[in-house]
Amino acid sequence: MYAALLSNRYLTSRLIPFIAIAAVALCVALVVTVVSVMTGFLNMLKDSGRLIVGDVILSTGIGGMPYADEFVADLRGLSGVQGASPLIDTIGLLRMPYPVGNQKEIAHVQVWAVDPVSLATVTDYAEDLYWKPPADAAAKAAMAADDPRLQLDASILQDGARLIHSKTGTPGIALGMHVSVGNARQRDGSYLPRYGWFMPGHDVTLTVVPVSGSGKIAEPREQSFTVVNEVQTGIYEVDKNRVYIPLHEGQRLLRLDEAPLFDLSAEPDALGNYPIIGKTPARVTKILVRAKAGITARELRDRVEAEYFAFGKRMKSDPTRTAKMPEFVSVLTWEQQLRDLITPVEKEREMMRVLFSLIYLVCAGLILSIFWAIVIEKTRDIGILRSVGASRLGVLWIFLRYGLIIGVVGSALGVLLAWGVIRNINAIHEAIGSDAPPAIWIGTFVLAGLSALGLLRAIWVGKLLALLLWTLATGVLALVGTALALHHGTLIWDPSVYYFTIVPDQVDWTTAWSTALGGVLFSVIGAAIPAAKAADIDPVEALRYG
Amino acid sequence: MGENSLGAILDARSVRKTYTFGALPVEVLRGADLAVNAGEWVAVLGSSGSGKSTLLHLMGGLDRPDAGDGEIHFRGSPIAATHGKRLDAYRNRDIGFVFQFYHLLPELNVLENAMLPAMIGNWFPNRARRKQAESAATALLESFGLGHRMLHRPAQLSGGERQRVAIARALANAPPVLLADEPTGNLDVKTGAGILDLLAKRHANGLTIVMVTHDPLVAARADRIVKLIDGQVETGCVLP
Repeated sequence: MYAALLSNRYLTSRLIPFIAIAAVALCVALVVTVVSVMTGFLNMLKDSGRLIVGDVILSTGIGGMPYADEFVADLRGLSGVQGASPLIDTIGLLRMPYPVGNQKEIAHVQVWAVDPVSLATVTDYAEDLYWKPPADAAAKAAMAADDPRLQLDASILQDGARLIHSKTGTPGIALGMHVSVGNARQRDGSYLPRYGWFMPGHDVTLTVVPVSGSGKIAEPREQSFTVVNEVQTGIYEVDKNRVYIPLHEGQRLLRLDEAPLFDLSAEPDALGNYPIIGKTPARVTKILVRAKAGITARELRDRVEAEYFAFGKRMKSDPTRTAKMPEFVSVLTWEQQLRDLITPVEKEREMMRVLFSLIYLVCAGLILSIFWAIVIEKTRDIGILRSVGASRLGVLWIFLRYGLIIGVVGSALGVLLAWGVIRNINAIHEAIGSDAPPAIWIGTFVLAGLSALGLLRAIWVGKLLALLLWTLATGVLALVGTALALHHGTLIWDPSVYYFTIVPDQVDWTTAWSTALGGVLFSVIGAAIPAAKAADIDPVEALRYG
Repeated sequence: MGENSLGAILDARSVRKTYTFGALPVEVLRGADLAVNAGEWVAVLGSSGSGKSTLLHLMGGLDRPDAGDGEIHFRGSPIAATHGKRLDAYRNRDIGFVFQFYHLLPELNVLENAMLPAMIGNWFPNRARRKQAESAATALLESFGLGHRMLHRPAQLSGGERQRVAIARALANAPPVLLADEPTGNLDVKTGAGILDLLAKRHANGLTIVMVTHDPLVAARADRIVKLIDGQVETGCVLP
């Protein structure tokens, strides 16, 4: 029990252990904060990702899959399926209405030809439509007289949800929020029209290249669409590239729509036409499936895959089905589908974890040096303890316990500090992005003034250490005060630049506990070497020279 | 095994001890013999550097004689052959050390310093044992006139008070033998005499004392004086 008493006394009778505790706390807080924020970003990305592709994605080759309507109907009847939506995924060129003049800007885009109604049951498509009519009179009053949003009514949402421009009856297109240059992202993450190019209502021309199942490229085809709304999914890569058009328009443009089936083995008629023996059904290249609550994406993927092969067999055995089902399809969960997006962020997080975990070594080194100094200072005490019967193990335990306390208290404070910072990270971020309140920088200057008085006193009494410390304190406070006075707000993650509006503010508790455990472990490791040295001290030498 | 046939509780036989300072070996003890009977107060008189403290450290199990050169027996058993826990227990229960410079732990108060050996003997925290150790130490300190100093730190005590605390600590586990290394060496004559009186009282109650000193007047308080010259105990002992 003497070990407990002595390690507690060694801990509380000097300043240096508190410096060690502060060092451990800062190390732990740093790792927990950085990894938690990174995990939060990763989770945001995953949440957004799942909401734009559903839980499971069935993809075929460029030739597409026939009888998709029947298969989608089968899928909807499958247990665990909340919704399914067919689409065509291709690439295209979009001629924008700007600038004024003949030379228009061309954007290369990812084209999703979708059934918007069923898409909304699988993804957050309907919720992601960005432009809405002003919520109330106050919102209208806040807009400039020529703001095009004042003209918006309920049709902007309805047209977006149906992909039809209701006023003209023309096919509609919904653009990703960053496809056009007409949207300016604000610091609160919202958008304002700019350059006079508020896109809804403008016509754009989409050019796509049909490709046959055998890979032959046909003549490019183009069609004009009216922009009915714009879409913000929360993933920049998607919002920068993707446009949504109606499924039947996409099928027609890409020659994946229903068409007559000719008998090429027969003799053509006088006009050179082959006899029609049936119809080839319309095709799609993807089917998105949403799971019901309680079903994991992996479980659903297995069910969809099994259903596809059962459906394929049925089609094959039915002689009336003239079109062949593709033999190779990929059925992926949303995480697998989006791994190109998710994996780099996961790797970045792990890299940050590893890099910041190197701080542990600093922590262990710091504790080692502090303890080494304490053991040297306490050599005589160690001799005394050995002379009254303390064992080497007992002496070892005094210092190990000491390190353990520093590790436990430091790690606990570190987790607490990280929790405080993370939970308030948006307020802190906002404060950094705003002007410093005058009371704070004036208060800092007052403290600098008081510190200067201490400095004068140190000069008067001729104490060098006091002189040094007061000089440092005065200089630092004066610098901080000046920096605060001159600070006019710098947002680190400016939402007008970065694609998120809030910084994740949830602690990753798995990381927190494992980091705290690491803090304790490295503190004990740091203490172990000086502790072993203490245990090895010859008591006679310690008493004689200590 | 009990005490040997001559009644010696502590018996150093032909003990040699060599220290190496840099490359230079210095033979401090050259076959020293000293048998201390139970209940005896023996003063080892010698000049500075004669090996008095070394002999005391060897008898107290803090150090070992040179390999194969001499033995120290406690109640007939060689302590040099004892290792680890048994040797720690020997220093904790059978021997009490008093040093010239008190060697109190500055972070502990008087009571805690006096309780230290009792606490060391109990590895795990135990409220009842702690209470028992506290009562014994309190009684001892009060008998030494330190009842009002219990919660003071060593730095707040006078030299004499510190040495009394050191003696209380040495006697906390009621060991049969007290090894005192110049116990009055750092005190004025009057305070030193008080410390010797205190030792005499304990000796009168049966405590065996081995005290090393360079001061013949201090040594005169012992039952028997031996001289340590050139690393050997002079055979012709001086009676006080």
